[in-house]
Amino acid sequence: MSGVRAAVAPGPGGILVRAGVFAYVGLLVALPLAALLATGLAPGLIALWQAVSAPAAADALVLTLTTANVMALINAVTGTATAWVLVRYDFRGRDLLSGLVDLPFAIPTLVTGVMLVLLFGPQSVIGGWLARQGTQVAYATPSILLALLFITVPFVVRAVEPVLMEQDPAEEEAARTLGAGTFTILRRILLPALAPAIISGTIRSYARALGEFGSIVVVSGNIPYKTLTAPIYVFGEIESGRAEVAAAVSAVLLAVALALTLAARVIERLAGVTRG
Amino acid sequence: MGSREPTRHLGPGQWLLVGAVVLYLGAILALPLVAIFAHALEAGVGPLLQTFDDPLARHGLWLSLVLALIALLANGAVGVGGALVLPRHRFLGRRLLDALVDLPLAVSPVMTGLAFLLVFGRGGWLEPALAAGDWKVTFAFPGLVLATLFVTFPFTLREVGYVLEELGTEEEEAAATLGASSWQTFWRVTLPNIRYGLGYGVILTTARALGEFGAVLVLGGAISGRTQTATTFIYNALEERQEPAAYGVALVLALASILLLAALEWLKRQRRKEI
Amino acid sequence: MRLTPHPTIYLLAALGLALAATLAACDGGAPAPRTSTAPGKSRTLVLGAYTTPREAYGKAIIPAFQRHWKEKTGEEVRFQESYLGSGAQARAIIGGFEADIAALSLEADVDQIAQAGLITNDWKAGAHQGMVSRSVVVLAVRPGNPKEVRDWDDLRRPGLAILTPNVRTSGGAMWNLCAMYGAALRGQTSAPKGDPAAAEKLLAEVLRNVGVMDKGARESILSFEKGVGDVAITYENEVLVGRQAGRPYEYVIPRSTILIENPIAVVDHYADKHGVRDLADAFVAFVRTPETQRVFADHGLRSIDEGVAKETAGRFAPVEDLFTIRNLGGWPEVRKTLFAPGAVYDRISAGLGARR
Repeated sequence: MSGVRAAVAPGPGGILVRAGVFAYVGLLVALPLAALLATGLAPGLIALWQAVSAPAAADALVLTLTTANVMALINAVTGTATAWVLVRYDFRGRDLLSGLVDLPFAIPTLVTGVMLVLLFGPQSVIGGWLARQGTQVAYATPSILLALLFITVPFVVRAVEPVLMEQDPAEEEAARTLGAGTFTILRRILLPALAPAIISGTIRSYARALGEFGSIVVVSGNIPYKTLTAPIYVFGEIESGRAEVAAAVSAVLLAVALALTLAARVIERLAGVTRG
Repeated sequence: MGSREPTRHLGPGQWLLVGAVVLYLGAILALPLVAIFAHALEAGVGPLLQTFDDPLARHGLWLSLVLALIALLANGAVGVGGALVLPRHRFLGRRLLDALVDLPLAVSPVMTGLAFLLVFGRGGWLEPALAAGDWKVTFAFPGLVLATLFVTFPFTLREVGYVLEELGTEEEEAAATLGASSWQTFWRVTLPNIRYGLGYGVILTTARALGEFGAVLVLGGAISGRTQTATTFIYNALEERQEPAAYGVALVLALASILLLAALEWLKRQRRKEI
Repeated sequence: MRLTPHPTIYLLAALGLALAATLAACDGGAPAPRTSTAPGKSRTLVLGAYTTPREAYGKAIIPAFQRHWKEKTGEEVRFQESYLGSGAQARAIIGGFEADIAALSLEADVDQIAQAGLITNDWKAGAHQGMVSRSVVVLAVRPGNPKEVRDWDDLRRPGLAILTPNVRTSGGAMWNLCAMYGAALRGQTSAPKGDPAAAEKLLAEVLRNVGVMDKGARESILSFEKGVGDVAITYENEVLVGRQAGRPYEYVIPRSTILIENPIAVVDHYADKHGVRDLADAFVAFVRTPETQRVFADHGLRSIDEGVAKETAGRFAPVEDLFTIRNLGGWPEVRKTLFAPGAVYDRISAGLGARR
């Protein structure tokens, strides 16, 4: 397990820096989030439930979770496949592909939304064609899924890659000599080894997807009960002056995202997964 | 522990897998990129250049750049300093700090804006203090700074932290045993070791700062000439049917992102070479 | 044996932080656009407006005022503008956005700001009762009107995709619903005259057909332009501005529709604080002059000035049965009946939501 060597006491400078970092984090991170949680929870659990179970809010939360679920399933598969291809194979353009995987970390989410509108909007080639077939992408639910898939590409890939790289080929080769087929090897040796990384990467992508705003607000149409996700619902409540309701729904979302992040960390720690 | 060499000669099944992955990533990632560049090419270079004629567009881009610079400096400094004294030592509150550092990555930008509103806005926790000093945070530049610092906080700290945690203190200990001073140890051992982590952190920080939208929208109000960053400029330009201006600035941001991405990949390649 | 770095590192880090803080404190540094290079003081006016008159203010009226003021006093005025849904803008101003002037979509939103104690002057005094421009609620349709939408009742047709903004943030959305409800109550639709239940039913049937609900009137009409929906309920001037921008759509004026009256007021709490009260007062007076009213007319807004209204009458189609918010009892009454929690809109919303 990587990490902390025997504790070594820092000098006085070190303690000052540590205090400084604590203060910085406290003011910048802890204080606002504390205000958010306090405002959301202060009116009490009943008020919280009312805020969250209001028809539009509940619908938005369900939509957010549902789209995240689908996205997570797809990512678990495609992310693992991508990591496999990037680590185990060597082909022309592999580095370009690897670079492409990092694109969502570099590009603004708003620009992602704009690109999706350009690509799938009713005035576009693809969008127009799809509309004639009866499917709508822009300003409909599929656009939310596409936006989420875009921004979460790196999570599973980058989580699985280092584990794959560390994988000792000896086990696989031994299994092969004993006559095991590829699928058996996959099932018995690789999947168990990769599972923690796949799971933690998926969980992190899920947590990220729950809060997505910039791309969805541009491309989804924001129709209540149809394409209005939880973060955009919160946005609407803020603009409508209902900060308490917004804070309540935010508190719930935050709690879920935190729980997920914690779960991911625990899995990573238990499995000894290193971060690449 | 051995690891295998990547397969160079791929069988048909393997090519199929590669093809499937390329198809998926191409559709999800590359196609939208192509869309924005194709649209820009269609419109020609003229409208793009006109974008820079617009003072509001220039101001927005400039504002985003300044915010990115501030985030880079502040969170870079705190990141390196923090990484040096935190991950490698056990102390009271370390778990808590670890969790806090990760938080900004889990919070939706809109909620970030709301959280700061609840502290610095009207009726907020710090309102009396702010009123006393007549300081403006919400709907003003300081608010944008806070929002940007929040969302970019973890990157440098984590990237440098990972590197230091993996390396452990062996090399520094060895250097000290050999008689090196703290300064020499830092300059000759620690700093070279963390340069990749620092590079990643800086790039990720810049990219995230340039791309911040939800929090600055809620906290700043996208007031033209005051709190309108590049992203909120695009948002507002779309409202004014100024598609050329909106797509122009979007293109600039996309180009900047690709540059940052290229730098990131170059760093990764350099690092791989050394391993 | 210390394994922590030399204190110089901390010094460097502290310098980095200090540099960052200085940059932050310099308020970004760059001068805002429309800036003066004149020596001495140059003051800034902050405008908080609703979404629709962006072009009117941003491209025409503000530059005109800057010229006017420069000629009159030699002072150069900078402007900062924000355009949001009327309700959202009112809340932003109440919540801390220090606007000197509020130009919103409906009187009720300005009243809210006044209730928060930020407007203490008698902004409704004067010939125009605080208003600055007018419009009417119309139906925007595709070229050639393929769905043959002529009046409110046509909107009840199943399968018709309708756009209207979100009531919580947009003033335009409220005007739209008032127009429909009012027309129904006045017996100008299939609903019997004076029957609130029937009017509510009409509203529900129309709202069932609503697709996208954007944050403001401008966003709504933009969605329509992007190809979403068959009909958009909107301001007449949104349509006219859109057509000026080259967008191809037509519009239909229902037989009975509401007169939209847009207010403007000096937010004296902030104007006094910023020391720009005289500027703000001058601007509000300026926008009511005939010259500026002509500019409004150029941007599709009906004028409050009788003379200009007569001049520009040719550009605006007449309305058979034009009523005002006062015919519905005034904004406080309308808010209670239509928009309060548990009132008409809330009931319809919940009813529609439960069915999906």
